[in-house]
Amino acid sequence: MPSTGKVRVIRRVHLLISAALLALASISPAFAGWGMPEPITDQAKRIQDLWVFTLIIALAVFFAVEGALVYAIIRYRKRGDGLPKQTHGSTALEVVWTAIPVLIVITLFSYSFIVLRDVEKEAPADALSIEVNGFQFSWEFTYDLARLGRGEAPAKDGTFSIIGTAAQEPTFVIPVGEPVEFRLKSNDVIHSFYVPNFHYKLDVVPGRDNRFVITANQTGEFTGQCAELCGINHALMRFHLRVVERAEFDRWVAEQVASKATVRQP
Amino acid sequence: MTSIAIPRPAYAERPRVLDWLMTVDHKKLGILYLYTTLFFFAVGGILALLVRAQLAVADNTFVNNDAYNQIFTMHASAMLFLFIIPVWAGFGNYIVPLQIGAADMAFPRINALSFWLIPPAGLLMFSGFLFGGAADVGWTAYSPLARSSGVGLDLWIISVIILGVSSTIGAANFMVTMFRMRAPGMTMFRMPIFCWTMLVTAVLQLLATPVLASALAMLYIDRNFGGSFFDPNGGGNAILWQNIFWFYSHPAVYIMILPGMGIISEVLPVFARKPLFGYKAFVFATMGIGGLGFSVWAHHMFTTGAVLKPWFGFMTFMIGVPTGVKMFNWLGTLWRGSITFEAPMLFALGFLSMFLIGGINGTFSAAVPVDFAIHDTYFVVAHIHYVLFGGAVFAVFAGLYYWFPKIWGRRLDERLARIHFALQFIGFNLAFFPMHLLGLDGMPRRIATYSESSGWETLNLISTIGAFLIGVAMIPFIINVVMAFLRPKDQPNDPWEANTLEWWTTSPPPVHNFDSLPEVHSERPLWDLRHGKAAH
Repeated sequence: MPSTGKVRVIRRVHLLISAALLALASISPAFAGWGMPEPITDQAKRIQDLWVFTLIIALAVFFAVEGALVYAIIRYRKRGDGLPKQTHGSTALEVVWTAIPVLIVITLFSYSFIVLRDVEKEAPADALSIEVNGFQFSWEFTYDLARLGRGEAPAKDGTFSIIGTAAQEPTFVIPVGEPVEFRLKSNDVIHSFYVPNFHYKLDVVPGRDNRFVITANQTGEFTGQCAELCGINHALMRFHLRVVERAEFDRWVAEQVASKATVRQP
Repeated sequence: MTSIAIPRPAYAERPRVLDWLMTVDHKKLGILYLYTTLFFFAVGGILALLVRAQLAVADNTFVNNDAYNQIFTMHASAMLFLFIIPVWAGFGNYIVPLQIGAADMAFPRINALSFWLIPPAGLLMFSGFLFGGAADVGWTAYSPLARSSGVGLDLWIISVIILGVSSTIGAANFMVTMFRMRAPGMTMFRMPIFCWTMLVTAVLQLLATPVLASALAMLYIDRNFGGSFFDPNGGGNAILWQNIFWFYSHPAVYIMILPGMGIISEVLPVFARKPLFGYKAFVFATMGIGGLGFSVWAHHMFTTGAVLKPWFGFMTFMIGVPTGVKMFNWLGTLWRGSITFEAPMLFALGFLSMFLIGGINGTFSAAVPVDFAIHDTYFVVAHIHYVLFGGAVFAVFAGLYYWFPKIWGRRLDERLARIHFALQFIGFNLAFFPMHLLGLDGMPRRIATYSESSGWETLNLISTIGAFLIGVAMIPFIINVVMAFLRPKDQPNDPWEANTLEWWTTSPPPVHNFDSLPEVHSERPLWDLRHGKAAH
């Protein structure tokens, strides 16, 4: 009879595991990026790879240590009045479990240092450059007609802007497949320019010239919002981003130039 | 058994209320600290429930944006400055002199001053609600935003400076007490681990808190006397505030967690019936965390673009090493032990399993490019709560259940404690685990509302349910304490068969603490007496 009981237990464990796997599979689309939203830039892809690498190590450490803890709780619960052996420590063990974390963190640091260097490259001279002005409580995106990137240069000079309000969230447009630089400006308080699909944010600091570069690798519509508490309507400082093919971007620019009174002729 | 007689000073009798108001007895002050800080824990908890109520559903209008900013700012301020930091001073006040075999703290009247600064500072901070609104710029009070906030922020600044004075003079008191007043035979390396963590905490407070006071004074000048320390338009620097603020506030995270680690390191050996594995390694790891704690502040500032990212990333990774050593030492203590699961042990094991997550999810911020994604999102909110709730709060309850019979001489009910633990453990994970996923998906912290199209509603609702479950978990705890006070003071000196000197004297101890002291030959003098040195 004990063997039947054992079989029953094994069957139950199997059932539990398959149920868990099924549950995991049903929600797996949400975990395609290991919890992160879809990366839409080359830089975001690098950051996501680093995230996944770090996460796998973190999960391994978590399961090893939590497993050891649960094992100790079950295995070493009191089973009699005898005193356990009074071990005070072990220098060898202390050295080992200091050295292993040191090796892990040196590995993680080296990889993250390489990714950091790559995602913080400066913009090439021919990149589209957009000035992002954060203010309480929306955003202004200013395009310089002389720095529109790798399309056909428009006939005019000057700038045009997309200005939002907390009630009217602004939408700006960038072309896919080429570097785009964002120059961040603020005249009031600190904001933070955050597009979750970039896996990146950079603070918009009064008195500081912060800039970063991305290269979008897919088209679509995405949202972002301010990530640094900036006052009463901080939560409403949202914006939208459209990533489009170059030709469509050029058409959009032409429309803006034609319709905006803010385009200044030199 | 030999013992050393201690001369007994004479004390004048005073009316009871007056006695509590004028006391310089470290035990009474310790109790006053505990009552006061647990009161602010309740206040901070209610504010947290308001936050969670507002975020339960998308586009909610339960509280308006202005009120929301005040609520979450005061939640954090109450929990950090009025609960966690001073609650350790409360435990330390009661326990440290007893653990080292002293009659009181080194400077009893300064000790009383340390405590009596806290209630008025707390009232001052909260009085903002009566004068047009409390502080509303986050507990981090970033400038230039903090330059233009209302009068509530001035009250907040003054309050935090007063609390800083309290913890600075308290720190000096703890250091002198531990350096000068240990029982005969108790060398530094025979001092209980809780005392060691209080000592390192005191050093951090003494070095870091005055720096915060200087930053707050500059902010007050900027706001009220036309200064421009943090105003770029006046020649100041907005990032300067963050550098000074975090130079204090990162070590402050260790101020908030090290004594909790100390409590866990007292509880685990008692209920596993083994000495702490690697006592000296643990002490050095505590010092290591304290030292490294001063070299990682700018990991809060990677996205400003204004700090040396590789350096602070590396140091932040490195601080995981001594933390890992501690984790392994705790596991080593349990290994091959003889473990029982009384209430203090339940909360200590809860600490181990949850603080592990808080340690691991913090390392993601050390990988600077990953930090670009998760900084200022709910991922960070999850991290800090796994450290400060999963860590510090579980340790507070471990300490309360552990020392309750000593402090009040009464017994707490084990069944109610188990219900409390189960509800708190489940509620905590429901409340804070989903925040990891929300943060990864891009939900910024400190937003008063989110739109339905964000897709964040389900996880937020789960989190809110968990938060209210934590609130419910406090009911069996309160019932337990009330019922204990209806029972007689019947606890023996050493109900847990513990190791350290506080269990040598009566429960509660007499005013002068000890009638006699045993000889101290190790960090476990009572164990040595029970089992003889041979069993050591």
